[in-house]
Amino acid sequence: MIPRVFVERRLDWIVLLSALSLAAIGVLFVTSASQGRFPGLPTRQALWIGVGLLAMTAGVLVDYRRLLKLSFLFYCASLLPLVYLLLFGERIANVKSWIRVGGFQFQPAELAKIATALLLAYLFENEDEGRLRPGTFLKLSAIVGVPFLLVFLQPDMGLASTFLPLLAVGLFYGGLPLRGWIAILLVLVVLMGGGWFLLKDYQKQRIGTFFNPEADVLGSGYQVRQSKIAVGSGGFTGKGYMEGTQSQLRFLPVQHSDFILAVIAEEWGFLGVLLVLGLFAALLLRALTLAALARDRGGVFLILGVTAMLFWSVTVNSAMMIGLLPTTGIPLPLVSYGGSSMATTFLGIGLILGVEYRRFANA
Amino acid sequence: MLKVRDDRRDLTRRIEVSRIVAGAVFSALTFAYWYIQIVQGDRYFELSENNRIRSVKVTAPRGYVLDREGRVLAENQPAYNLQLYRREARNLEESIAFAARTLDLPPEQVRARVERGLRDPEFLPIAIAENLGLEEVARIEARIPEHPEFAIAVSQRRLYRRNGEGAHALGYLSEASPDQIRRFGGVYRLGDWIGQKGIEASYERLLAGANGERRVVVDSYGREIDEENRLEAEPGQNLFVTLDAELQEIAEAYFRERVGAAVAMDPATGEILAMASSPGYDPNTFTRRVTAAEWNALTGNPDHPLQNRAVQNAHAPGSVLKVFLAYGALVNREVDPSASIFCPGQATFYGRVFRCHKKGGHGWVNLRNAIKVSCDVYFYNLGRRLGIDRIAEYARAFGFGEPTGIDLAFERSGLVPSEKWALEKRKARWYPSETISVSIGQGPILATPVQVARAIAGLVRGGTLPTPHLFLASQDPATGARLRYKAESKPGMPIDAASLALVKDGMWAVVNEPGGTAFGSRVPGLETGGKTGTVQVVGREAIPRAGADRRKLEDHAWFAGFAPLEDPRLVVVVFVEHGGHGSSAAAPLAKQIFAKRFGVALPPEPPPLLRAAAPPAPAPAPALAQARLAEKPLP
Repeated sequence: MIPRVFVERRLDWIVLLSALSLAAIGVLFVTSASQGRFPGLPTRQALWIGVGLLAMTAGVLVDYRRLLKLSFLFYCASLLPLVYLLLFGERIANVKSWIRVGGFQFQPAELAKIATALLLAYLFENEDEGRLRPGTFLKLSAIVGVPFLLVFLQPDMGLASTFLPLLAVGLFYGGLPLRGWIAILLVLVVLMGGGWFLLKDYQKQRIGTFFNPEADVLGSGYQVRQSKIAVGSGGFTGKGYMEGTQSQLRFLPVQHSDFILAVIAEEWGFLGVLLVLGLFAALLLRALTLAALARDRGGVFLILGVTAMLFWSVTVNSAMMIGLLPTTGIPLPLVSYGGSSMATTFLGIGLILGVEYRRFANA
Repeated sequence: MLKVRDDRRDLTRRIEVSRIVAGAVFSALTFAYWYIQIVQGDRYFELSENNRIRSVKVTAPRGYVLDREGRVLAENQPAYNLQLYRREARNLEESIAFAARTLDLPPEQVRARVERGLRDPEFLPIAIAENLGLEEVARIEARIPEHPEFAIAVSQRRLYRRNGEGAHALGYLSEASPDQIRRFGGVYRLGDWIGQKGIEASYERLLAGANGERRVVVDSYGREIDEENRLEAEPGQNLFVTLDAELQEIAEAYFRERVGAAVAMDPATGEILAMASSPGYDPNTFTRRVTAAEWNALTGNPDHPLQNRAVQNAHAPGSVLKVFLAYGALVNREVDPSASIFCPGQATFYGRVFRCHKKGGHGWVNLRNAIKVSCDVYFYNLGRRLGIDRIAEYARAFGFGEPTGIDLAFERSGLVPSEKWALEKRKARWYPSETISVSIGQGPILATPVQVARAIAGLVRGGTLPTPHLFLASQDPATGARLRYKAESKPGMPIDAASLALVKDGMWAVVNEPGGTAFGSRVPGLETGGKTGTVQVVGREAIPRAGADRRKLEDHAWFAGFAPLEDPRLVVVVFVEHGGHGSSAAAPLAKQIFAKRFGVALPPEPPPLLRAAAPPAPAPAPALAQARLAEKPLP
């Protein structure tokens, strides 16, 4: 019996190595972007990667099916701090999304993402009809809608939007028929018209800037413009590590977190961008393969949920770097500075690996 | 038990679709980056080159230093500095030549500054010259259109009021050394000012505040066209120190012609009311950026003006030590205060003759009178009876041989010898005859003036040794909120009221009874006590070495006093290097300080002959009342 365990349990090296390489590139460029200013950041980043690796190991070793059974409990527990934040949280950088413990800050919404993905997978575990039933549709909307709203009210639009891929996963893979998609599209158009009145001023400004960046050159359009200059001036091979004039000028307030890709693009050029996007593509496409191979529906949806959220963050972040999407404060997973995102992304990777790990295992 | 596989063909098909979508999105992103970085790369590269962003430091105003009454001791005044942004220089050599020519500076000096700055990021300015005159500023400003790489920056320069009085306690500012920059971990940059000594150094982080920064965009003429980012400076805290500028002034005046140190301290709290060290220096010299000649004059001076003699120089305490031995022996019942010893002017111990400072001898003296007249023979006998280890025990109980913990750096701990010390440090046995010398405060026993002040405080207030300190309170310049110093102390020798009264009476007699060694320095109307000390510095063998400098052969003079007698609130310690006798060289300053602090008007100095016949002091009561009035609360 024992040798069988060794044969049947397997780690997927493509996913694991891509994730580790991205994290290593992240430390390298957090160092470059923070040098002479925040000397402690690279060390903290490395520490958080360590925490992330522990979380990942846990994600691999604990049977995900057991997690799925407990997912409703996790989900409720992960929403509690979000409610707490709305009621008692202190505002940091205009939003109530951080909980401080000692010297550290943590964004509970990051953990809620994983918990929501688990519950989603649990929901779809036994949905094998091939089309979305109305009851499942309502449950799905509630599961994703509650944390989305709690984060949206912080108000952190960017972070809230990272829950939406889960909705898309449920709708698309759950088998929403065409007329359902049309109905949703119509509702969205109506909501967007009304939503404009609900947005905060700075959010409107950011969206306005997105459509007309030259209007406000030194205000919020400034970041987009400077980031484009950084990316563009990197050329094919870049200006050299730690040599980026834009980055070392510290033209952006959050260059070590949200704008890290601009620093990479400037200092390592198009080659650096190819490397980072290539690693993400390898990770995500491989994860989709693993999803197709997963042993059960719960595993499939768990991988799809985590992968979709990663895909969303990577796409939005790298698109906003060059002005293709408005600046929304979504970090580049695994690479940007930020402890909560790092730890929970690795936890998510651990869950993907865990599903693959148990592919041939019997219950 | 294997679960039957459900039909997942739909699901698998959708996953295939999403693989294609994901691949397409990544391709599109790659294309977009290729377009910006390769197709439009040159245009953006040029834009990045034209991004003339400068970092302009917003200097945080350093906190003022004020004395206990709120008199300003150190403040700031604007200073104009020349800076170079090398990113905008067409030709660095030309820029160096221009700066040297316009300001009449040696080109090598300018070049050295530029080279030192080359390690910093380009958008940070290189400091070229400080404290420019208005005319120099005008000359530079006129040429800035041709030399847009230069800028005049306004900063704050430290200004020490009161002619450098209290320089050793206050310290001074100078440019942060590379070592200090490393030690503070990135808070300071080359060219920043930092407290180097005194409280400027001890409370550097409190006084300095936090500098701010402005990111500005400049045009090709070096004109500021926009501000992108601003980090406001956080002003430093104002610092009230325990010094009283008036007492300080008296002490400084006394030391104008002398070398030595004086400390005035509140024995109840450890607050230092005056701290003088001579020779001194003008701390403003450093904020003007000290020249090589000035620096050499300061460091080459054999009297070491930069040293704070009150805490950094330890000398034998001389006869001042006698009161501590007397108290220790009394408390431990090792001496009968009423028993008298006959002093013939000298005594022989271990086959060696030890002289008393009075040639003809003091005759019969008991403990009280031995303190009053500072009889050496009496204390030789006492010291022999105690032995060196007991003497060391008493001295340590009064805090000798350890730093006092005053809030100044580089404090010396002095030395208390013992048999163990002789074996360990000197690698030789302790000679019993040395004990005889130590019993009158000579030989290898060493103490700093501030140690002596703490010891006297521990004696006259019975038991606890207050930690001397200069920090009184800090004040936030924005809110006015204050933080006060929390007084500290450590236990000293146990209190014994009878013994204390006896020693204090002896010390009172030193100043107030005819024949006391400091009788000339009593303050009319104020009950003071004290003890003089006169230290032979050179043995006979050292005389030829001193050569022509006769001054170096003179004795060191000590005086340590307190007032008032009951509930003492001021301890004064005066040490004059090569001053001669404690009574004539050191005690007169203590008298002046006591008089000032307790509001006693001193008559103009009478000729010496009349002094002995001065009328007896009036009743002390009104003077004490006056004394309390004179202690004003903090503003």
